[in-house]
Amino acid sequence: MGDVWTWLISFFFLIALVGIIVYQLVCLADLEFDYINPYDSASRINFVVLPEFILQGTLCFYYLVTGHWLMTLFCLPYLFYDYQLYSKGQHLIDVTEIFNLLNREKKKRLFKLGYIILILFLTIFWMIYSALDDYDD
Amino acid sequence: MGTENPGYPIFPARPTSSPFASSPPSAMTQQSGRPAGGSETSGFRPFPPSTSQNTRPPASGLVPPSVAPNTIPSQAPVPPFGSRMPLSRPPPPPSVSSPPTAYAPPGGGPFQRFPTPPFPTAAQTPLPVPPMGPPPAQTLPGQLSSPPVSFRSQQQVPPVPIGSSSQSFTSGLPGANPSQPTGDSQSFAPRPGFQQPFPPTSSYSGGAPLPGFPSKQINAIPPAPAVSFSPTAQSVVLAPPSTVAPYPPHQGGFAQPPALAAQQNLHPGYASPISNVQGLVEDFSSLSVASVPGSLEPGLDHKSFPRPLDGDVEPNSFAEMYPMNCPSRYLRLTTNAIPNSQSLASRWHLTLGAVVCPLAEAPEGEEVPLIDFGSTGIIRCRRCRTYVNPFVTFTDSGRKWRCNICALLNDVSGEYFSHLDSTGRRIDLDQRLELTKGSVEFIAPTEYMVRPPMPPIYFFLIDVSISAIRSGMLEVVAQTIKSCLDKLPGYPRTQIGFITYDSTIQFYNMKSSLSQPQMMVVSDLDDIFVPLPDDLLVNLSESRSVVEAFLESLPSMFQDNINVESAFGPALKAAFMVMNQLGGKLLIFQNTLPSLGVGRLKLRGDDPRVYGTDKEYALRIPEDPFYKQMAADCTKFQIGVNVYACSDKYIDIASLGTLAKYTGGQMYYYPGFQSSVHGDKLRHELARDLTRETAWEAVMRIRCGKGIRFTSYHGNFMLRSTDLIALPAVDCDKAYAMQLSLEETLLTTQTVYFQVALLYTASCGERRIRVHTAVAPVVADLGEMYRQADTGSIVSVFTRLAIEKTLSSKLDDARNLVQQRIVKALREYRNLHAVQHRLGSRLIYPESLKFLPLYAMALSKSTPLQAGHADASLDERCAAGFTMMAMPVKKLLKLLYPNLIRVDEWLLKPSVGENDGFKDVLKRLPLAAESLDSRGLYIYDDGLRSVLWFGRMLSPDISKNLLGADFAAELSRVTLKEQENGMSKKLTRLIKKLREIDPSYYRMCHLVRQGEQPREGFLLLRNLVEDPMGGSTGYVDWIMQLHRHVQQNS
Repeated sequence: MGDVWTWLISFFFLIALVGIIVYQLVCLADLEFDYINPYDSASRINFVVLPEFILQGTLCFYYLVTGHWLMTLFCLPYLFYDYQLYSKGQHLIDVTEIFNLLNREKKKRLFKLGYIILILFLTIFWMIYSALDDYDD
Repeated sequence: MGTENPGYPIFPARPTSSPFASSPPSAMTQQSGRPAGGSETSGFRPFPPSTSQNTRPPASGLVPPSVAPNTIPSQAPVPPFGSRMPLSRPPPPPSVSSPPTAYAPPGGGPFQRFPTPPFPTAAQTPLPVPPMGPPPAQTLPGQLSSPPVSFRSQQQVPPVPIGSSSQSFTSGLPGANPSQPTGDSQSFAPRPGFQQPFPPTSSYSGGAPLPGFPSKQINAIPPAPAVSFSPTAQSVVLAPPSTVAPYPPHQGGFAQPPALAAQQNLHPGYASPISNVQGLVEDFSSLSVASVPGSLEPGLDHKSFPRPLDGDVEPNSFAEMYPMNCPSRYLRLTTNAIPNSQSLASRWHLTLGAVVCPLAEAPEGEEVPLIDFGSTGIIRCRRCRTYVNPFVTFTDSGRKWRCNICALLNDVSGEYFSHLDSTGRRIDLDQRLELTKGSVEFIAPTEYMVRPPMPPIYFFLIDVSISAIRSGMLEVVAQTIKSCLDKLPGYPRTQIGFITYDSTIQFYNMKSSLSQPQMMVVSDLDDIFVPLPDDLLVNLSESRSVVEAFLESLPSMFQDNINVESAFGPALKAAFMVMNQLGGKLLIFQNTLPSLGVGRLKLRGDDPRVYGTDKEYALRIPEDPFYKQMAADCTKFQIGVNVYACSDKYIDIASLGTLAKYTGGQMYYYPGFQSSVHGDKLRHELARDLTRETAWEAVMRIRCGKGIRFTSYHGNFMLRSTDLIALPAVDCDKAYAMQLSLEETLLTTQTVYFQVALLYTASCGERRIRVHTAVAPVVADLGEMYRQADTGSIVSVFTRLAIEKTLSSKLDDARNLVQQRIVKALREYRNLHAVQHRLGSRLIYPESLKFLPLYAMALSKSTPLQAGHADASLDERCAAGFTMMAMPVKKLLKLLYPNLIRVDEWLLKPSVGENDGFKDVLKRLPLAAESLDSRGLYIYDDGLRSVLWFGRMLSPDISKNLLGADFAAELSRVTLKEQENGMSKKLTRLIKKLREIDPSYYRMCHLVRQGEQPREGFLLLRNLVEDPMGGSTGYVDWIMQLHRHVQQNS
């Protein structure tokens, strides 16, 4: 029974991550179509970058603690990539160069989004699986 | 010749009957130049045919004679021109005669460039070629193949091949044009696949001197002049085939590459006659490169290599073709022919883009006219917001106008209404400068202001730590500012303020009621606050006496300061807090590495081991994000930052310069500043910065026609939205580069328009919009793009790309970037011609790009890109990078390939008046060590500094006259002073003259004697770009290297 809860919690984690990334994408898209200025766009995105990383790290740790080491493995590349960005100081958006980086930043986030959604599906699958398992028991 | 003849009979009748000859040029331009809709077409239908007829006849008129005189001496072509054309086309004769002038100056180049070695190949080329002529002809009607036949016979007469072919190439033109009337009457109906590059020309140039046509002629028959004008026709005639690119350079537009042969069938009239001729003569310039790669054969004569000794020669055919375009000092495209498809654009490896210098200094009498629309408001397109310009068309008897960029029909407001005359142009055209000039300035009404126009504001942030005082910087700065107070623009609104800093920050209250400024010291660097925020920035005219008193006492106030720290970051923040109400210009004088508070910088080791590794780039980007953030904030609040860094130690220009880079400012760097040596330079440059006309709180946008889009911008500024450049303060010494790309796979229009609009506040407090409009033809032929290429602009864009590349990767990569693109371009060009010509071991390039390889080499040896760690200190490298990112085209080219002139002979000549032969002495020499004669005295001048080089065997009299008693001393300690003798005065005059030519930077005159190492190498020898130096290649090797790369896979 506990397993379902585990999956359910990680499911919310993932939904939050998806929300954060979609928010960043929306900011970038707004910038591209000139709805907001680069200063606002950059500060809004930079405001949620660290929470995103922390959330992601927590999720990974959570999987590890709850014993789902396979999912941990799935999360690790993402975490490693984030860590790399952070250690190079490239995790924040550079407001002065934002327009030159726009496409790359968008692509980056789209990949992240795809990855997260993949993990989300896995999680949902495991959640349903374990729920059915519980039911069978 | 069947196709040509139909055009021919029409000709005599036309010119007389057509209004063409009589109608003023502008009318024609107005009318025929537009992408007219069906409705207007009727209005001026008579014209297009007549213009096109007119352009055609000259050519067709040529035909019969041209065939005949082929066997006659080559001067023959000229008479036919004259006899045919007197009525309708006075210009052509000049145009025929102009080629020599156009080509003569480089003439030395082109001809000596192909020295003896090419001759054998030259002789060979014609032979294999004729057989190649016919194949293209197979696709064409039989009659069309006749020209080649006649050619072949001509070819056998060795002395005239070139002249004749170019003539008959012109004869091809008529064939090409007949279908044009249809084209014109349909106006701009899309012509599938086949864009005739020049129809707009003929229709545009309409009236007056048919600028388009002459220009074609000029470029079209470079060799012809050679033939007809050179006294020794025989020898020259032999040379051209291998050498110059005689042949239809321009109509190459019509001449299709073989791949398009199928399309030629659709329009036999356009292309076929020429493609027959193609292959007979060459369309390019070439350098014969030794056939054994790597070995220097004696045949390789580097003296004949092209060198830009005449400075930057702009392609003027373009300006003639579109006389209403804005002058090229404001806007220069990398090629004045826009590709019509993405596939064509992808074959153009020399970036597609433009360099814009919106406020370039106009020569006397050519100032940009100021137009006040008053209550009418500024006329703009409803949809795309394009400003009214000479290329818009008025229709519906003057009630509507069509936007040239988006083709939307706009209503003409009541106040702006004017009737159209019978030719469809506005009656009041002469009074409407915005409809006749490519560059105009509008006075903007209040809708263009978000706040009242700001006054000019100068705020000074001055380092007063011990090194600033020791080096004398503080004194020079204080004196200069004081002397410029009268000349600051914008009196009486100008505002001024000062902050000084060492380990603390000193604010100065300069309220007008005070007699002496009050100093307030803030020492809490972590929590900056501004005391008396209202009195720190004061109106100059009100507080004049306080400001003067302050500047007078400033040096003495700190003369005993022994503080070595520099709280730069907090001081910058304080200045920002004072200024962010209004914006303005912030001038920072920094003398040491920022060491306290936020934004302090570490001594980043200029570690030689880092070079060549992946971490190398990190040295060239700001270390602390504080600087980027500050720069972004400054731009947001309309603060432009200029940084003056004077230091003998590492000061981290990479970080400090970021402030200037993103605020549209400028970075000045004075390594090893000593007021006795560099004082004049700082004085001059600071004075220019303070007094030059400055545009405040500006934004710039460049619009272009449908189907293309500017994708990236390069220079010192910050983007406020995808295509809006924010420029808190901008002046005539700043240029911006941009690259464009095609959005649609196929452009259906025949021309593309560009409009640069700079909205700014003038110093006088008026809000103004400066608008530059230009048009470029759309072409379907790669060869045409090459012919219309603009080397200066290409080099300028490449420079910026390469410097940007150094900020994210190794220097090597940046240099390779440039080289690879040039190789790709030359390879593409070679492929274009390899089919028809036997190229052998020649490096071929279009005439328009003959200097490109040299400039590219100079670029890779320039300070920001040059080889390794030892060649330039990190600071110098970064400073040069920031400077070059902002430079206008001409200055950049001069910096890349500086002037080297010999002056001793001129000095010895007796003096004749004030301007004694400056012209003679300003003859530039190739930048190679062998240009230096040890008996001579030379001036090297790259626009930023100059070097006076004394040869070892220079007559002692000269040195004694110039240097006085010091002449035998070591020259590093000698400065050039005017002596009491004619020779010294003459030299001083010359140096002054050189400085006046370009006042944006002050050329310090360094003296160096031959053999005085290492100064000589550092000051001069290293900058002789044609010589191999250290690890870098010389000009000859560079050409060989390019050639080798080009030949791979080609």
